[in-house]
Amino acid sequence: MSAAMEVQASLRRASALSMLLALLASPAARAAPQELVHFGVIAEEPNEPDRMFTVYSPFIAQLRERLAPSGIGVGELVIARDLDDLSQRLVRRQVDFVLESVFPMLTLRERSRSLEPSLLVVRRGEREYRSVFFTRRESPIQKLGDLRGRTLVLQAMRSTSAFALPRAELTRAGIPLVAADEAAADPRSARYVLALAEVNQAIWVLHGKGDAGAFNEGDWQALPEKIRTQLRVFARSRPIERGLIAFRSSLEPATRAKLEEVMLALDRDESGLAALTKAAGITRFERLTTAQRQAVLDWASVLMVSRGR
Amino acid sequence: MRTSGIGTRYAFYVAALSLALVAVTLAASGAIALGRMRVLQQELRDAVTTARAADDERALDGAARYLGLHLFNPLYQLDVERLNEAIQQTQAWLPVVSFLVVDRDGLVLTDGTATNVMYGERAPGPLPRDDVPDPMLIRRDNVTELRFRVAAGGVSAGWGIVTLKEPPWEASLRRLEEERTAELWQGHRASLVSLGALVLLATVGVGVLVSLLLSRTLARPLTQMSRAAAQIAAGNLDHPLTLDSPDELGDLARALNRMAGELRAHEEALRAERSDLAAKNAELERFNYTVSHDLKTPLVTIRGFAGLAGGDLAAGRNDAVRKDLGRIVAAADKMHRLLDDLLELSRIGRVVHPPEDVPLGGLVRDALELLKGQLEPRGIVVEVAPELPVVRADRRRLLEVLQNLLENAAKFSGGQERPRIELGMREDAGERVIFVRDNGRGIEPRFLERVFGLFEKLDPGGEGTGVGLALVRRIVEAHGGRVWAESAGLGRGATFCFTLPGGPSGAAAVPEKQIQSDPGLSGSSGSVQPVSPVQPVTPS
Repeated sequence: MSAAMEVQASLRRASALSMLLALLASPAARAAPQELVHFGVIAEEPNEPDRMFTVYSPFIAQLRERLAPSGIGVGELVIARDLDDLSQRLVRRQVDFVLESVFPMLTLRERSRSLEPSLLVVRRGEREYRSVFFTRRESPIQKLGDLRGRTLVLQAMRSTSAFALPRAELTRAGIPLVAADEAAADPRSARYVLALAEVNQAIWVLHGKGDAGAFNEGDWQALPEKIRTQLRVFARSRPIERGLIAFRSSLEPATRAKLEEVMLALDRDESGLAALTKAAGITRFERLTTAQRQAVLDWASVLMVSRGR
Repeated sequence: MRTSGIGTRYAFYVAALSLALVAVTLAASGAIALGRMRVLQQELRDAVTTARAADDERALDGAARYLGLHLFNPLYQLDVERLNEAIQQTQAWLPVVSFLVVDRDGLVLTDGTATNVMYGERAPGPLPRDDVPDPMLIRRDNVTELRFRVAAGGVSAGWGIVTLKEPPWEASLRRLEEERTAELWQGHRASLVSLGALVLLATVGVGVLVSLLLSRTLARPLTQMSRAAAQIAAGNLDHPLTLDSPDELGDLARALNRMAGELRAHEEALRAERSDLAAKNAELERFNYTVSHDLKTPLVTIRGFAGLAGGDLAAGRNDAVRKDLGRIVAAADKMHRLLDDLLELSRIGRVVHPPEDVPLGGLVRDALELLKGQLEPRGIVVEVAPELPVVRADRRRLLEVLQNLLENAAKFSGGQERPRIELGMREDAGERVIFVRDNGRGIEPRFLERVFGLFEKLDPGGEGTGVGLALVRRIVEAHGGRVWAESAGLGRGATFCFTLPGGPSGAAAVPEKQIQSDPGLSGSSGSVQPVSPVQPVTPS
């Protein structure tokens, strides 16, 4: 190699080094977070991720803004297809915290074995809610026991209030719940069909595709007046927590603590409250009390047992 | 320029009328243009409607077939949530007013809203069945109703009833009509405003010009005439209007000038009369004073001597009484003469003889003849100019004038060694002046005017009553002439002059020589001979 070529090679190395140093010394490089966390949810409609993005993007943006000074970054929203998908992502540490109702949360906890409920979700001002059992106004059904041998219209298997809780209440009453198309059904059991939407549940009951239905009190109140007046409620479940925030167990305690601190403070200013409201009507987050935590864990045995584990 | 002047007012009328005419014209043209535009729009609309109607029906037929298939699964499964989503999606590509999904029983399952108020209601109107064509397209009240079966593979799950707003192309057309009409109208209005502004400016300009023109042609002459009338009213008649216009204003100006001229003439006549009246008043005052004074004098004499006569009579002094009575008689005689003279003087103003052509020379001879008794004893030589004119006058009065002047001259010539009277005529500035000159006592210049006063006697002890010269003045002035006295002072003689306006009727004054063939006149002039130019004549 000639001297001139050595000089040129030295210059190129020096230039590359100086560019690298400049890049590292830039404000963007200096402000880059040291840790990135991901929030995960299950898509209500597997083929429509846009709906989840629309609902949760303001929430993610608020977290990102408020966590940045602490060096914690918030990654893109993780939308799982179903409980299995989300539990897998938790295991693979692709998701660090999730928001779900009690039954899916307990299912995820069981499957991933790395999820710890931490915050209570207060939605539309309610810390807890109940499921109602309804039937046509002229139906002879008067109590849960009358559902034996009849068909219950439920929403979806992942739903707490429109599937897991009614099933738990029926189990508690000694009435097994089996799918309507299950061939060897016990005549003492009740059958169920899934209507996929609360309004469909009501319509199906009215049109005779089922004898009764069950969903939460809020959905009952949201039914069109003309439909609701043709139905009546004949039973109510025990109350259950409205929703939960749970963190991956292996998440850094300091990061989790900071996330909790930020989420607990979101409802205290206008922008944070707007983001919460957009996220499916969340009013605020509250730290789970010991009693609430125990109540949630108690629901685990009931829900899981009723599921026929 | 006055803002309320007639020019400004008429200019305003003209401007307002012009503006109104232009505004009406513009508005009318705008209305016509707008009307034509609407006709054009209607024709365009009809054409587009006709052209698009078939396409519209084909498009709606396709939409109905698509929806009939698309809604089948959710309707068949009673999935109202998906039906509602499908309805919401349909609103994105069709102008949906309402959307009803009807089940197989003909009852509304959902209207796509959260309240779903139509749920369970019997579907209104007919539904496409085997005997009714599918889809049905019903147009009414600016909306289109699309009724179609929700079916797949020959199996019907229910129906869809979609009420649509007017087709997009129709809405576009209507919007085009409304917006374009509004735009066109706005444009037209803007043009109207611009034109209006221009017209306003032009009208103001025209108004100003008309105002100036009217000011020049109408207001200024009127102002001039107004000022002239004010001048006339103030008595100033020496400023005639110079307006020379062939119209009514010119006539008015000329009439004003004529009126001013007549007023001026009348005023001058009045002034002359007033002056004459003032002179007469003064004379009358003097007359009153003089008469009362001069008539009083003989009365005082009569009273005084009557008293003396009474005393003398009582004392028996008959001679003295006789003398007293003689003085009383003399005073009475004087008073009588005074009264006669006064009577004669007043008669001059009342008794007028018709004027005639009088040869002055003959008249002089008559006067000399009458005064012969006074002239001859005093040895007075009278010289009469040979060529005296013929004048037009009251013969008798003119004789009195000559007689008085000659008598006056004779009266004041007595002290002269060679008294002489000269009667002739001279020309002063083209005016014939007849004079009677003597070489007698003369008159102090300060008394030259006074001698013509009534009862004025420069010599209180002299003869006469002092009426003669006053009588002369009265007669001469009654003829329109003047009389005056000239004298270089006491002892320097005196000249009495008078003028008589005009000559004989129909001709200039004719020298007397030409008419001396008058036999009556020549026959009566034997004692006095005219000498040319001035020749002494010894009274015979």
